[in-house]
Amino acid sequence: MTSSAASQPPDRAQRLATLPMEKTSAKIPFFASGLPTLREIWRRRELVGLLVRRELRARYKGSSLGILWSLIKPLAQLLVYYFAIGQILGAARSIPSFAIFVFIGLTTWTLATEILTSGTRSIVDNAGLVKKVTLPREIFPLAAVGGALVNLGIQFIVLVVAMIAVGEFPLNWGALWVIPSLLLVVTFSSAIAVLLAALNVYLRDIQHLVEVVLIVAFWTSPIVYAYSFVSNLSLGWVLDAYLLNPITLGVLGMQRALWVAGAGIPGSFPTHLGLRIVIAFLISAVLLWISHRIFQKLQGNFAQEL
Amino acid sequence: MGAPEIVRLEGVSKRFVLLRDKSFKERLLNVSASRSHRQEFWALRDIDLSISSGTTIGLVGHNGSGKSTLLKLVGGIMQPTSGSVSRRGRLAALLELGAGFHPDLTGRENVYLNAALLGLSRRDTRAAFDQIVDFSGVESFIDTAVKFYSSGMYVRLAFAVAVHVDPDLLLVDEVLAVGDEAFQEKCLDKIREFQREGRTIVLVSHAAKQVEEMCDRVAVLHHGAMIFDGDAAEGIRVLRSQTDDTV
Repeated sequence: MTSSAASQPPDRAQRLATLPMEKTSAKIPFFASGLPTLREIWRRRELVGLLVRRELRARYKGSSLGILWSLIKPLAQLLVYYFAIGQILGAARSIPSFAIFVFIGLTTWTLATEILTSGTRSIVDNAGLVKKVTLPREIFPLAAVGGALVNLGIQFIVLVVAMIAVGEFPLNWGALWVIPSLLLVVTFSSAIAVLLAALNVYLRDIQHLVEVVLIVAFWTSPIVYAYSFVSNLSLGWVLDAYLLNPITLGVLGMQRALWVAGAGIPGSFPTHLGLRIVIAFLISAVLLWISHRIFQKLQGNFAQEL
Repeated sequence: MGAPEIVRLEGVSKRFVLLRDKSFKERLLNVSASRSHRQEFWALRDIDLSISSGTTIGLVGHNGSGKSTLLKLVGGIMQPTSGSVSRRGRLAALLELGAGFHPDLTGRENVYLNAALLGLSRRDTRAAFDQIVDFSGVESFIDTAVKFYSSGMYVRLAFAVAVHVDPDLLLVDEVLAVGDEAFQEKCLDKIREFQREGRTIVLVSHAAKQVEEMCDRVAVLHHGAMIFDGDAAEGIRVLRSQTDDTV
């Protein structure tokens, strides 16, 4: 031991001596719980909050409307769909409270797309930090999910105000469908986002691919048309496939919770919607675990690939 | 009682694979030929290193000798291709000053964000906040967006945050040469204070004189291999003797 090491204040050395040596290079087995990482992320939860704030502050810095912009985009979409599809193509005739209906779907859909697009880019966008700072990299997709949830919150306030304004606020237990529906959407989108965030480091095409896929996927969920339009086509197995999409189930669940005017119409919702949501949630949870394992496998090389 | 070990590297090697084609199209077109598009490069070969707490160790070597890679492996930012890296205690890595500074946020917001990145809780940051600002000397601009800072102010604030996170192990990569002379003196004072407090410092630097002054141990790297490990003055001599046979 060197002389300077021997003369150091003993308390720090003694404390260090009691700590276990942690292997930072350990090859992580694929079938592991990932709990140590989750504990570490929980310890750094304040950082996630700060990163979310950084994202939101930075995105709207210098614009006078600020965070209101995150509302204007879905409201513009709402107007387009309301007039183009509702009035001109006539969907509003068979869907009561069409504006509310579309906004419920859009809010849910925006949550999913934001998690998927910003989550996928999160590692590459934060390359500077990934290469220079020691921290669990899962924090970046997590912060993307946090940012999407903040935007969801803002849109949700507008939705509630609108429902009260037209006198269709769901004052019953059915409103609790919101909770499992959102849980399903967040879990499923996060599972895909975590996986794609890792893959995007190796193949940057993925972030563009996601955007294209989402444009198509928008029409595979009953957002601007009602579920009954699809089920009335008697498509057989195609309908079953349609209902396998967790985001579709999440959108249907949200409509079940908040679309008061449609609750009484037979055929508005598929059979066993609750059971479908629960099963899809469980599968998504397993997917999230699997994609987290893959993320852990791949993250060792992030610093050199970026 | 001897000083406890804080970092241990056993048989650590790091290989980089350089891929010449990056896009999906090129990969598809080159599936069969993809092997020939790989170029391997060993940045580090078979490094054994044990650092006991309280030591200040300098990693020196010429450009491309692998010293920064070694620092990243110790910091856990990269994973070794083979071998194992273990460490304990609280780590602060100063690989780049102001990593995580966002130009649009104010100095105050960036202090909180950067401190959180380095592992400090919000409460601890608040407690140390005045000290940090005082050390950096940018009091009057702390609520200005950092994009309006001069580059000197920027690195001073970043350095101030980094030295206030109370690390057991501090990794420093070429960042001591920041600010004006007065601030550099302040940084060096801080480093000496760290040494008195028994903190461990791993330093990568090209400034041989600085390394010789500050470190009680030097490891010399040459093309990814460790060719010397021991006394600082001796290490610098070894480093200088390598100067001539660079490729």
